[in-house]
Amino acid sequence: MGDTVLTAHELRASYRGRQVLRGVRFDVEAGSLVGVVGENGAGKSTLLRILAGRQRPDGGSVVRRATLGYCSQQPVLNPSLTVDQHLRYFQLAYRLPGLDRALALLDRFAFTDRLGSRVRTLSGGTRQKLHLVLALMHNPGLLLLDEPYQGFDWETYLRFWRLADELRAQGTAVLVVSHLVFDRSRLDRIHHLADGTLHEAEPEAPSSRRELAR
Amino acid sequence: MRPYRLATRYALAEQAGNRFALTLVAAFVPLWVALMDWVVPHTAVAFHYRAGDRTLGVDGQHLSLLTGALNAVTLIVGFMMFSAARRCAPFERRLIHCGFPARSLLAAKLTMLTVVAFLTTAYTTALVRMFWTPEQLLPLGLSLLAAAFAYGGLGILVAVALPGQLEGMFVIVMTSLVDTTIQNPMGNPAADKSVLRYFPAYGPMQSAVGAGFTRHTPWPYTALAAAWLAGTALVGLTVLHLRTRSRYPMAPAPAQARSVPEATARAQR
Repeated sequence: MGDTVLTAHELRASYRGRQVLRGVRFDVEAGSLVGVVGENGAGKSTLLRILAGRQRPDGGSVVRRATLGYCSQQPVLNPSLTVDQHLRYFQLAYRLPGLDRALALLDRFAFTDRLGSRVRTLSGGTRQKLHLVLALMHNPGLLLLDEPYQGFDWETYLRFWRLADELRAQGTAVLVVSHLVFDRSRLDRIHHLADGTLHEAEPEAPSSRRELAR
Repeated sequence: MRPYRLATRYALAEQAGNRFALTLVAAFVPLWVALMDWVVPHTAVAFHYRAGDRTLGVDGQHLSLLTGALNAVTLIVGFMMFSAARRCAPFERRLIHCGFPARSLLAAKLTMLTVVAFLTTAYTTALVRMFWTPEQLLPLGLSLLAAAFAYGGLGILVAVALPGQLEGMFVIVMTSLVDTTIQNPMGNPAADKSVLRYFPAYGPMQSAVGAGFTRHTPWPYTALAAAWLAGTALVGLTVLHLRTRSRYPMAPAPAQARSVPEATARAQR
């Protein structure tokens, strides 16, 4: 693993009047695949929004040292626009010279044939794929993903984890929020969010990781 | 320039596909104007024409046609801009967070407002002309256009600033209704109060009456609506900026910034 690309320091935050983060601190290194797990309502999404700079914490700070890709829990898309129009919008946002990587990702997730379709005609799973592609298409150094595979079928779910492994290998730091127990075996480090603080948990043994990768 | 062109193209295409709004424009305006012509009598009414500093004796039905047209264009353009801005708000916030220039999105919205306001106003003016021959048709149309601009800006501002759809629609409908009703002496016999000048349709109403019933057009009153548009656009842009600025801009690379975490932590306090 490489340099630290994300540092959270003593983060405190409330969600609808309830304090969900009470002094969260941790680092994420380049080339690592880190998970944040916890029960529903533990504050995982609040933490990710704060790390992505979308929400101001009540206290503490965050330092990022890499370009950011952020995938929120709910897809944020424009139902009236086509997939292609979304890609062109984000090409300009990220100042990309072309759409090669975005089209390769579409191909990877097997929905290149929907390039001309309006988002309102897409299934929930395909919307989620597009949501993910928009967060990935500029090759960010730090990827923050909030339950990124909701609505995916099993094959797409496996594709997602293969892609996450590749990103890690090329030096991208990937932080995934999840409540699924069987995702844990795929991660380098796991932080358990409970009672407003993070506790590092042990990942599963490498043998079971290989088992799941099949 | 490219972000502006792209955003404008997509915004106009999206609006052209908004069948409900197009049906509303096509059916609501003629119905509204025809109803005014049918139910309101040709009674003489005294209108306090501040732009000419005198009281005009005008035909009540023609005055109601004017307020009805103002009401229609302000409602339609305000609602269309509110609806478009609100529907796109989360997506546009995401775009801005990812680096898309906010000013290009706002400029695209203003261009869309210009197109929507122009088409709606031209259609409404043509319908008014079918029932009445005003003294000056073009300045009358421009007065309606000015009101449409003021309410289009208001629609964008309400979409950006208010949290819910229902609250936003309520604000636009009630503002337009109250605004145009209290300026009409048929609905409000006390329509000569000076407080009326602080309402968005005040300037356009004065200039529309000037264009409709006299040979004089009070352009400064028409331009009052531009001040409303500028004000609402400025506030809207400020709110958008405050909501979409990143809390943590990217720090320098680790080798150059060993003390950055501490510095950022202090800045947060």
